[in-house]
Amino acid sequence: MEYAIVGNGVAGITAALEVRKRDPRAGITVISGETDYFFSRTALMYSFMDRLTLRDLEPYERGVFDAQRIRRVRGWVTDLDAQTRTLKLDGGRSIAWDRLLLATGSRPRRPQWQGLDQVRSGLVNFVSMQDLEACETVARPGAKAVVVGGGLIGIELVECLRWAGMEVTFLIREPWYWPVALNAAESAMVIDHMRRHGVIVLTGESVAAVETDGQGAVTAVSTDAGRRFECCALGVSIGVEPAVDWLRGVSTPPRLNRGIVVDAGLRTSLGAVFAAGDCAELELPGRSPLVEQIWYSAKRQGALAARSMLGEPIQYDPPVFFNSSKFFEIEYTTVGRFPRESGASGDGLREFYFRYPGKDASLRIAERGGAVEAFNLLGSRWDHNRFEEWIGQRRPLEDVIDRLHQAQFDVEFGRLDLTPARAAFKLWRAESLRHAGVPA
Amino acid sequence: MIRPGLGDRLAHDVTNRGVTAWLISALLFAFYIVLYFTEWFTPVAATLHLGSKWALYGTLYTLAVLIGGGFMLRRYAHNRYQVLRTVCVMCVQALFAYSLPQFLMFIQQPEFYFSYLWPLKLDYLNPNYLFHLPLPFILWSILGSFLLVPILAIFFGKRWYCSWVCGCGGLANTFGEPWRHLSAKSTKAWRFERVSIYSVLGLAIVLTALMFASYAVGGVHPQLASFTGEYQKWYGILVASVLAGVFGVGLYPLNGTRVWCRFFCPMAALLGIVQKAGRYRITVKDDMCISCGLCSKYCEMGIDVRSYAQSNESFTRASCVGCGLCAEVCPRGVLRLENVTHQAQQLQLVQIQRF
Ligand SMILES: Cc1cc2nc3c(=O)[nH]c(=O)nc-3n(C[C@H](O)[C@H](O)[C@H](O)COP(=O)(O)OP(=O)(O)OC[C@H]3O[C@@H](n4cnc5c(N)ncnc54)[C@H](O)[C@@H]3O)c2cc1C
Ligand code: SF4
Repeated sequence: MEYAIVGNGVAGITAALEVRKRDPRAGITVISGETDYFFSRTALMYSFMDRLTLRDLEPYERGVFDAQRIRRVRGWVTDLDAQTRTLKLDGGRSIAWDRLLLATGSRPRRPQWQGLDQVRSGLVNFVSMQDLEACETVARPGAKAVVVGGGLIGIELVECLRWAGMEVTFLIREPWYWPVALNAAESAMVIDHMRRHGVIVLTGESVAAVETDGQGAVTAVSTDAGRRFECCALGVSIGVEPAVDWLRGVSTPPRLNRGIVVDAGLRTSLGAVFAAGDCAELELPGRSPLVEQIWYSAKRQGALAARSMLGEPIQYDPPVFFNSSKFFEIEYTTVGRFPRESGASGDGLREFYFRYPGKDASLRIAERGGAVEAFNLLGSRWDHNRFEEWIGQRRPLEDVIDRLHQAQFDVEFGRLDLTPARAAFKLWRAESLRHAGVPA
Repeated sequence: MIRPGLGDRLAHDVTNRGVTAWLISALLFAFYIVLYFTEWFTPVAATLHLGSKWALYGTLYTLAVLIGGGFMLRRYAHNRYQVLRTVCVMCVQALFAYSLPQFLMFIQQPEFYFSYLWPLKLDYLNPNYLFHLPLPFILWSILGSFLLVPILAIFFGKRWYCSWVCGCGGLANTFGEPWRHLSAKSTKAWRFERVSIYSVLGLAIVLTALMFASYAVGGVHPQLASFTGEYQKWYGILVASVLAGVFGVGLYPLNGTRVWCRFFCPMAALLGIVQKAGRYRITVKDDMCISCGLCSKYCEMGIDVRSYAQSNESFTRASCVGCGLCAEVCPRGVLRLENVTHQAQQLQLVQIQRF
């Protein structure tokens, strides 16, 4: 059986290794236009900041691929034909397959600003290896940079450009930083932290136009509020979208929506063709369409897609959401999804938030109908697995606060002291009970 | 301080095997060769009113640990494990490895280093030397090597010695800190390590046995006594001077800081074996690793921490000195150094299965 995998990201490579583990005789080919070897996209910033060399970004020793008999092909796939079961590459080469996995990841979302068509240089994204090179060429100590977009990649790019000694302005369209995940107070803490690192942070303002010089080099951006920011480097990270454009014109396109539509077996509409990782859009019965664009899901989906291709009856059931990140020095862990309207009392929604005075650390835990649903923790380390358990066990907030120490993962001797948080919780609880007219 | 920008290669030069790094390495090599094999430093020591070239060396060494330690404390002020550990190695160096021996000599006692034990310091179990010491020193040496070292290693891993007490580790983790990422990461290095470190341990054990034998029956077997003497001399030159000093420190700017500790130290070999059977481990938080590779890069023992982390495996490696830097640099807080009891491990499993 010949397995072809488009994309050598974490989804594609995990799938390749999993196929090999389960079928010693399978023929496996992995194709990518970006790099020869799988690298950790999540660590791009550490390469920029000279903590790691490009080679260090590779999670597996290079010899592994030969040892596991995984053929690596460098090139962009331009055509997919499910009838003849072939792929075509940009060089004209074609590759035959019996099972095909599409793991093409994401690409940066494109902005709609005036003057973009004039831009020849100075504008960078921060998603691919090629972007990394571009960022390194535009970074100049002392010069001005503007980064647009208030998400995780945006703040990483900001940190990189600050490290390179640039004067960085971070333009965030939303009223605060990353509102899909942080509340206003958490965001304020992160923004303060960024400011202490010398970043100029502006919220509630979006870019309207880009200015360029005669050669097409970016010189400034102006916002809808009429302000103008000079810059020679413009970082754009306003989100990513599944990299599926190339599939629209192929001989037999799979069904596409935002991403490549797959069922619980990660199978596309084309039968022998599967999809996994950032590019896949899950259509699961009784759920709204889901595109998971994080490392952990890509890894998990890659492993499952391999088994599905091998004929196992796979039912992918996305586990409780979790993620982690780091905002300059502030570590961040989140588990579960915060109920949308905090504060509404009808559905028994309670949310406890505590910021450690004088410290960049906070905790926020939400409960609905007597069971915890979501955690947001900044500035300390936690084992998200415990939180997942507690969510699964539908534990009440009080109980979770009592056992919070079980989930702590700080370094030895460095545990966050939970006493102030627990004391604040007692007060908060007494207060809310008093409001509800229950004697404490 | 100049921020290292992209155009500015200076920082890279020293810490990434640039010309300056080679120069520093050459200087360190030269320094150790002069120190061990000539008497050129003796007049220098005399001018500075230091008793011998070794006192001069001790002073420089202690200064390096204290100054490097100061930088370390500033850099990792947010990490209590690093702070406590660094303060501890600085104190041990300043007190037990520097002031106390000088004081002992001042009060007409033998120069004795309580922070060094057999098999790092073979003399401390050499009957010809040991039995001439005052009784408390003898007891410390014997009980230290055979009770304290293994018991603490069972409970806390080898880190209590290698990263909290030992002078070699102390210098590596203070003065040597900027070069830690240069440790060899290849499979070849790992294969070499397994052979080399246990070979030196073997040599040390054989030598100790010979020293006892020649102490007991050397009088009637003069050949044994002279063979032991020769062996001891060569062990001293090869292991204590060349491997621990010249290569161990000389290679800091090129091959990272723990060349001696990782490839040759007999104490590390022994503690590593105990560590495997003990409670210490690096716990990996399931499913949170982003495979960035910082942990592996900054492991001074060249352990591929990432390979364990990305496959959700908590682990104990004999070579791990428990410096805790992998946990410090990990941007996702995946790793934690722990002393777990087997009971606790079992309990964890049961808890997970129960729900
Ligand atoms: C800067 C940055 C930081 C991030 N940090 C985190 C984080 O901390 N935590 C987290 O969970 N997630 C993070 N992510 C997201 C995470 O990296 C992705 O979810 C993950 O890499 C997706 O893996 P994948 O295998 O699906 O796709 P990718 O890694 O994107 O791999 C897809 C590959 O396919 C190639 N390809 C695409 N189309 C074609 C074609 N037609 N022909 C040939 N090759 C093709 C691409 O070039 C690419 O190499 C980050 C992303 C970025 C960009
Ligand atoms: S530093 Fe942390 S996230 Fe990075 S590879 Fe190591 S364990 Fe994984």
